[in-house]
Amino acid sequence: MTAMIWMEGIHKTYRLGEVDVSVLKGIDLTIEEGDYVAIMGASGSGKSTLMNIMGCLDRPSAGHYVLEGQNLTTLSNEGLAYVRNQRIGFVFQQFNLLSRSTALENVMLPMVYAGISRRQRQQRAAAALQRVGLGDRMGNRPSQLSGGQQQRVAIARALVNRPALVLADEPTGALDTQTSYEVMALLTELNDQGITVIIVTHEPDIAAQTHRIIHVQDGLLQGEARNHGRTSYPAD
Amino acid sequence: MAIAALWSNKLRTALTMLGVIIGITAVIAVTSVGQGVQSQTEANLQGLGADILQVRPGSASSGNVSQGSGSATTLTWDDAQAIGSQVQVAGSVSAYLQQTFQVVYGQNNTSTTILGTDTTYPMVNNLTMQSGRFFTADELTQAQSVVVIGPTLRDELLGVGAEAVGEKIRIQGQRYSVVGVANVKGSQGRQNPDEQAYVPLTNMSARLVGNNALSGIAVQGISVKVSAQDQLEAADFQITNLLRVRHSIYPARGDQDDFQISSAANLVETLSSTVGLFTVMVVAIAGISLVVGGIGIANIMLVSVVERTREIGIRKAIGATNQAILSQFLAEAIAISAAGGFLGVGLGVAIARLAASLFRFPFVVSLWAIGLGVGLSFVIGIVAGVIPARSAAKLDPIVALRSD
Repeated sequence: MTAMIWMEGIHKTYRLGEVDVSVLKGIDLTIEEGDYVAIMGASGSGKSTLMNIMGCLDRPSAGHYVLEGQNLTTLSNEGLAYVRNQRIGFVFQQFNLLSRSTALENVMLPMVYAGISRRQRQQRAAAALQRVGLGDRMGNRPSQLSGGQQQRVAIARALVNRPALVLADEPTGALDTQTSYEVMALLTELNDQGITVIIVTHEPDIAAQTHRIIHVQDGLLQGEARNHGRTSYPAD
Repeated sequence: MAIAALWSNKLRTALTMLGVIIGITAVIAVTSVGQGVQSQTEANLQGLGADILQVRPGSASSGNVSQGSGSATTLTWDDAQAIGSQVQVAGSVSAYLQQTFQVVYGQNNTSTTILGTDTTYPMVNNLTMQSGRFFTADELTQAQSVVVIGPTLRDELLGVGAEAVGEKIRIQGQRYSVVGVANVKGSQGRQNPDEQAYVPLTNMSARLVGNNALSGIAVQGISVKVSAQDQLEAADFQITNLLRVRHSIYPARGDQDDFQISSAANLVETLSSTVGLFTVMVVAIAGISLVVGGIGIANIMLVSVVERTREIGIRKAIGATNQAILSQFLAEAIAISAAGGFLGVGLGVAIARLAASLFRFPFVVSLWAIGLGVGLSFVIGIVAGVIPARSAAKLDPIVALRSD
């Protein structure tokens, strides 16, 4: 297996007024292609910042980040936008759908920035919504969908540009147990199809469904565990 | 995409457009009405004779008080004859005196303008005869009491369509024989030539007004029809020089001209520049409305960027480049402004059309005004959109995603 993510000496320091706050203090991390990873940690541990750097939403203050063999440390903003668009899919805790657009339009959006023709956008977005089980809700706006359905629209949006990596930041944080399992089942399915999936969570039973659990504490990695033999859940 | 965002905020978008709509409407309506009025006045004044110069006595002054043009008796019939014989570009020259007198035929009497003039009058003023003839050169030199009457005057005095040639009428108690009736000319401003009567200048001067100057018969005006319209300025120059020599006026000595020369062309020019100035003024005011409209758009776009910070964050997270965000917000600003521009053009044309039909002048809408209106609205959109669009594009995606 080749490395999907290779990080070395990642630091992140924010300046808050007069004080420098060090959030990440030297992270060395390698994640293999096709892996299924949970990043756990208390709030303020730096796990979300780590996720943002992995997702090219933020740049490290120091250190090297190589994604799929490409060194991103020196890449321009436009280059990072291209990587986010083509290689990465995001799933957020608060879904982050455009409230004035329909489910279909939301899923079409990444392809707008990829320069795909309108007809193809519609076809592929419809297929992605079918795949997450929302073929009959394409014309609904987010306000007309339940939380679980909204998160499934967000997952459809994340996978529609066929990314190599899906990053999910507390994907089940705003959902009840039953829909949490449904969403996890979808993410697991994506992983089964070869996509590298990384989930940030603080819920152990969610982390337990992944293959590898990484603990972050005070801006540093604090050990990790491998899950062999996945637990089976009712929704599976 | 830009359109959809605007549509979901219809009221705000409409109010934002208002400044541009009003500005463009004013520009289109005013330039269109201005052009219509201008072409109308030009057409009207052409009818007055664009190839005619009017020479009038300069203003007499008693003490230092000017008494207005035409009040002095400094022009004579001799001046008119000198112009006719010495100014080469003068096609035909006609001098006149005019005054209002009582005219009586039998029981009927009326008060009307009597024009004392010479035999070239019909040629200079395009006067044609309905019956009889104009008075002759002999009748002029002999100061005979003959009169040519206008058709309306004939109708009033002798009855509608009555045979008038050979009849005798009294002007100021003096007997005149009617030798001809003029054709209908139609009213021209304050004067209606159809109500006038024409007598030989010599006769009028001697028998009706009696204001002979030392140097000959004083006249109130000389009409000069130039040989060609492009000779107006040459004629003006030559007449001025001739009259200065004849009246011993030396401008180098500080002398003032005692005559004035004007033409319908001058009048057209004056009116056109007045209308033009008015148009420029209103367009300038409309320009202020456009600037205010542009500021309104910029303001609303800035508000919109703040409101949609999260949306911008989402778009960036899924791969929108700064350039794409910039284009989107710029497109929204241009869409607002351009829509306002198109509405303004439509409204402006409608108002111009309405005004044209209400006030009866030709409806003219110039393509350059429409082009200017539409072009201007695009420019306003770009200028107003650039700052908000740049601030949207520069947003940090993480900060944007965290905002509520």
